[in-house]
Amino acid sequence: MADLRVTLNRLSLRNPILVASGTFGYAREMAAYVDFGRIGGVIPKTITPLPRMGNRPPRTVETASGMLNSIGLDNDGLEAFIEKHLGYLLTLETAVIANIAGRNTDEFVEMARRLGEFQRLAGLELNISCPNVSGGVDYGTDPTLTYEVVAAVRGACELPVIAKLTPNVTNITTVAAAAAEAGADAVSLVNTFQGMAIDWRRRTPVLGNRIGGLSGPAIKPLALRCVWQVAQSVPVPVIGIGGIQSIDDVMEFLVAGASAVQIGTANFYNPGLSSALVEELEKTVDAEGCERVVDLVGTLKAS
Amino acid sequence: MVPTAVECTGRVVEQAPLARDTFRLRLECPEIAEQIVPGQFFMIRIPGGSDPLLGRPFALYDVARDADGRAVAIDFVYHVIGKVTGLLAGWSGGERVELWGPLGNGFPVPRAGHLVCVGGGIGYTPFLAVAREAAGQRRYGNPGRAVAEKASRVTLLYGVQTRDVRADLSDFADIPRFSHRISTDDGSEGRAGFVTELLREMLTDETERPAAVYCCGPEPMMRATAALCAEHEAPCWLSLETPMACGFGACFSCVTRVRVDEDPGWDYRRTCVEGPVFSSASLLLE
Repeated sequence: MADLRVTLNRLSLRNPILVASGTFGYAREMAAYVDFGRIGGVIPKTITPLPRMGNRPPRTVETASGMLNSIGLDNDGLEAFIEKHLGYLLTLETAVIANIAGRNTDEFVEMARRLGEFQRLAGLELNISCPNVSGGVDYGTDPTLTYEVVAAVRGACELPVIAKLTPNVTNITTVAAAAAEAGADAVSLVNTFQGMAIDWRRRTPVLGNRIGGLSGPAIKPLALRCVWQVAQSVPVPVIGIGGIQSIDDVMEFLVAGASAVQIGTANFYNPGLSSALVEELEKTVDAEGCERVVDLVGTLKAS
Repeated sequence: MVPTAVECTGRVVEQAPLARDTFRLRLECPEIAEQIVPGQFFMIRIPGGSDPLLGRPFALYDVARDADGRAVAIDFVYHVIGKVTGLLAGWSGGERVELWGPLGNGFPVPRAGHLVCVGGGIGYTPFLAVAREAAGQRRYGNPGRAVAEKASRVTLLYGVQTRDVRADLSDFADIPRFSHRISTDDGSEGRAGFVTELLREMLTDETERPAAVYCCGPEPMMRATAALCAEHEAPCWLSLETPMACGFGACFSCVTRVRVDEDPGWDYRRTCVEGPVFSSASLLLE
């Protein structure tokens, strides 16, 4: 049986199959479909310091092989998360990585400090890439601000830190390099691509927020390009995200240089996928004649 | 949440036309059939491709049983409007779909007295199972939900745009103490005008007065129904249909405005897990 364990600096996972923030609720919603004891880890929906109502509906719309969303970080705030969800999450037999978003560095630090009290958390993922709220995507598009917030969070708590990056930049490697230099244990990419859907007959945007973020199989080639470029040029473990819905998709990201992956939009239309992929990964690594999954990471050949 | 929901594969058993571009589809799926109750829904996805990508929600029409009385299949009724329903309409039996459910809360267990169901267009479909349960003809769920005291009678007020799209209601024919009234926007059948006019007559007639009103249909119709029921102090429940990606509470797309005590007096709540059925008094209808 292949060894599926992966280590991303201070973050150790029993296998590289994670589920992406914002696509898995607070895990309770998935309990009927997913064997939490199989998957590498859970990243619950983004938490902000205070409750956020989120954007006006419609919040999602299907597009060709994808979907646009503009949820707007609808959540009940940090303390409600700790009170209502964290206890349950920490009973699950898997790594739990909290995903946080602040409007400024102080807010990130304040949340990191509070969550740092929970030593059974496996890590923190910094959402510096949400395209649907002001103060989100701005961080992830600026290497200087990215460095500042990652360094500040590293100084504020002991938990491993992942910076979740936006692809809505000219050069994602400079932002990844800033995160790495500031001490991020890993970078996860990509968050959604900004996009729009239009009802031309009514002359209106389809989404209540007018623009949103594109995800799903439609973005997989775009995400693979980003993951490959970052893995090539930045000395930091990469977690690949973008349209994964099959074991072949997982393998493509691993070979491109991702040490782990996150299943996102596919959780919505195949809720049991994440645990099923762990089984398939085991078989595929065996079939490749590898003893360890890490031996497959970054094995893309130059051609 | 929905700890009893399952993800499974269902086989198309049969399909029957009920009106122009409107079909009843039967899916073999005992795992969902034995648990689902009236007003709940399930998601259906076409396997194999990525366009269409997401599942689509469909309300329970009825549960089909085998010769031994075991729940084996679920029926739903759809109107052809988009990619998925367009594909479904070409099916004749044997096709397989991915599905997950049962989802949502369902209508409350009916109470004694006159139950009035107001259905607009394809929104009438949850009321077959509702009427059967209220009349004491069938039980749904596992264990079957108990109806403490059967409804004295059930009336379906069914509004459609025009006669051509009016569904065949013969599935309702064997329900005891059931009757229906029809309205068409263009007067081609039944009462000319909106279905809410039929409701207004019931609410103002002491002999017809509903103990409860259940409603499902286009938003303006549900708003009008809620307003009428509030005016006449009749308890009213609405089954909402909001765009959703997952159906089980993960995506936070399908939110609706629910009244809360805290400022500003309402909050967005997920229709798929807190609904789709809400008491109209609990909603802040836009």
